[in-house]
Amino acid sequence: MKIFRVEGTLVATARIGNLDSHRLLVVQERIGGGKQVAVDPVGCKPGDWVIAVGSSAARDAAGSKDYPSDLTIVGIIDYWEDEGSPGDGRAASAGGEARV
Amino acid sequence: MNIHRVTSDLVATYRTASLADKSLRVVEDHSGNLEVALDPVGAKPGDFVITIGISAARIAAGDPRITTDLTIGGIIDHWSEERWRG
Repeated sequence: MKIFRVEGTLVATARIGNLDSHRLLVVQERIGGGKQVAVDPVGCKPGDWVIAVGSSAARDAAGSKDYPSDLTIVGIIDYWEDEGSPGDGRAASAGGEARV
Repeated sequence: MNIHRVTSDLVATYRTASLADKSLRVVEDHSGNLEVALDPVGAKPGDFVITIGISAARIAAGDPRITTDLTIGGIIDHWSEERWRG
């Protein structure tokens, strides 16, 4: 699993059928880092620090073995600071509220 | 999943049977690296797309027997060059 920060939602109306209507989020490994797209079955908001699974576990985590995801968010981190960006000092403020 | 931009179509008539008759596109990532992706959506050159990798690429292709490791999953409605490179 890897830690990512949620940048925002991604809208893709023309999509393959088996992607369904799952929410897709743009996530960054650290501030200023490379961007990836993750499936969000949890319900994150921009700025949240999250954990995401890759490889074939991403398919299961998205709810079904037949779901075509290679990166799925599995949890929101209660507290995390990006050590790579000390100037930013932004921490997750989810406060552990259950949104699952 | 990653964000790629479609560069061009790719025609490969002589191909392995496990690629079937699926369309192929050349896509580039934010640093200009080129890859080939299978396209079940119908993306045009210049479109920003979501690409699905590893074993999920085969499911995204519509048939897990198709031998792809990168499949276009959707065309992004709103995306900009600045957001992509930033």
